[in-house]
Amino acid sequence: MTTHAQASAVPQRPLVRLNNVYKTFHAGTVNEVRPMRGINLEIAEGSFVIVLGGNGSGKSTLLNALAGSFPIDSGRIELDGQDVSRWPEYRRACLIGRVFQNPFSGTAPNMSILDNFSLAAKRGKFRGLGWAHSRHLQDELRDRVRELKMGLEDRLDSAIGSLSGGQRQALTLLMATWLKPRLLLLDEHTAALDPKSADQVIALTDRIIAREGLTTLMVTHSMQQAINLGDRIVMMHSGNVLHDFNSEQKQRLRVDDLLSRFENVRRRELLDESAAEMLKSRYI
Amino acid sequence: MTLLIGALTLGVILALLALGVYISYRIFDIADITVDGSLTFGAAVTGVLLVKYGVHPLWATSAGFIAGMMAGTVSGVLQTRFHINALLSGILVMTALYSVNLHVMGRSNIPFLGVATLSTYCETMAVQVFGGPETQLWGWTVSSADLTMLLLMLTLVGAIATGLWAFFRTDLGTAMRASGDNPQMVKALGGNVENYRIFGLALSNGLVGLAGALWAQYQNFADVQMGIGMVVWGLASVIIGEALTGATGVGIAIAGAIIGSVLFRQLVAIALSFGLNPNDLKLITAVFVFAALVLPGMMKHVSLRKAQGAA
Ligand SMILES: Nc1ncnc2c1ncn2[C@@H]1O[C@H](COP(=O)(O)OP(=O)(O)OP(=O)(O)O)[C@@H](O)[C@H]1O
Ligand SMILES: [Mg+2]
Repeated sequence: MTTHAQASAVPQRPLVRLNNVYKTFHAGTVNEVRPMRGINLEIAEGSFVIVLGGNGSGKSTLLNALAGSFPIDSGRIELDGQDVSRWPEYRRACLIGRVFQNPFSGTAPNMSILDNFSLAAKRGKFRGLGWAHSRHLQDELRDRVRELKMGLEDRLDSAIGSLSGGQRQALTLLMATWLKPRLLLLDEHTAALDPKSADQVIALTDRIIAREGLTTLMVTHSMQQAINLGDRIVMMHSGNVLHDFNSEQKQRLRVDDLLSRFENVRRRELLDESAAEMLKSRYI
Repeated sequence: MTLLIGALTLGVILALLALGVYISYRIFDIADITVDGSLTFGAAVTGVLLVKYGVHPLWATSAGFIAGMMAGTVSGVLQTRFHINALLSGILVMTALYSVNLHVMGRSNIPFLGVATLSTYCETMAVQVFGGPETQLWGWTVSSADLTMLLLMLTLVGAIATGLWAFFRTDLGTAMRASGDNPQMVKALGGNVENYRIFGLALSNGLVGLAGALWAQYQNFADVQMGIGMVVWGLASVIIGEALTGATGVGIAIAGAIIGSVLFRQLVAIALSFGLNPNDLKLITAVFVFAALVLPGMMKHVSLRKAQGAA
């Protein structure tokens, strides 16, 4: 599959910059979790970053923070040269396209395919009293949906909820990139699919990203995807970036290397936990 | 025949209530009790403007719509900005409106005696159009004023329903519908879900306020009690409409709500003429809505059981 050209030799401002970002959920309660502990991360324009990490390491939280799903506690998030730290989610949508893990999250199930795309065609734009289904949109949609080869081009008026998970994720991906986003966020978008549909959606993902040259963050649990796709790997652990492999390092990586890194992390985690247990039993 | 025309007219007027409830119940998936207050609020504001200030009925009626919108806006703000549960927001606004309505009206009932209302306009217009106070309709003698009122209401509700249908096909309307279906997705696509909800509830209660304004003029008085239980009435109409049309699209659902309202009023009129005690009306409406909510699920359950039994 494609690997993407690195940013040119001229040092340029990164498209995404997280500066010492903190987030704590349920602060001060027994449920306190700290999925972002001073995260620093820069992403160059045009790069395709794979985000790895164990369950609860803060991968989704990172993507949600970028998208603006919740306000961060401290730090700074820059997107495309602007400080977006205080922007609400809907405002950031003009820069960001998203596909969620759950196929139900990315589409309005009771509305038609055409309705859904008419919303995508206005991502981050003013929505007024213009007709949602323009002739132009319908024609273009039919062409682009035909490219998916899922036989959906004749079903543009059926409710999107009646489609399979794979079909929905493919459409959500098309929706997220209908207007070229500055940043594409993919959060385990094939995790809920059967292997065949997952492969289809991954192929489509790679094709779209390569064609449009999209800056992308993609969370996955699949080592195979991590090796095959993208030009950089960021490995997260307990609210921080643990490893960061650039394009060259990534090319030398094998699945086994990644797995052993994971194993190390897991061992360290167990150690942490047993130490905590010991302290607890001693002092509480 | 007079009875039939009367029931038809009221059914058409209350179709606006059904449309309002359709927006909150079907598009935003909330049972918005604000409706009980905003119906009376629309009637009260229109009544006071007509009786006390002698405002032209057209403006007074529009004011009823705006009054309803204000009530809906307050409910929407409570839900979105203050994160109060939708049901509770409705209860709060409805309760507050009871006092507001009493203040606006100055007493619990305002008769529209000797003032110009849409009804009196219909009377004068009827004489011009039909050439007399009575006219023949398929061999029946009917009051031409009643007939004019019915035609006027049909035109008005038809126009509003068409406008609503068109609105839900615009970019804004589509985003509003989607925000009830999947708010997370709408946010990700740059829609301000909170504002859509406020606007949606304003529109919904505006239609309900308008229904109140028209109803008051039709019956020639505004009463502080007239809104009680009307949300259930609206729900009944929407549910009947859906059952009849099998509503899938917005257009069909809107038509369904109107048909449902007219039919429900017709059924009530028939039941009353067969000696149903008017005091039992709300009880029966509530039981009806309960049955409509529960029966489809139970039938599915039963048929599933049967299928399993057969297998
Ligand atoms: N909105 C939220 N409210 C409360 N807690 C949250 C929220 N979002 C995430 N968390 C918590 O933060 C921690 C990190 O979660 P996150 O979803 O980022 O993990 P992840 O790396 O995506 O894991 P997974 O691989 O299981 O998806 C978890 O303990 C989770 O319960
Ligand atoms: Mg996750």
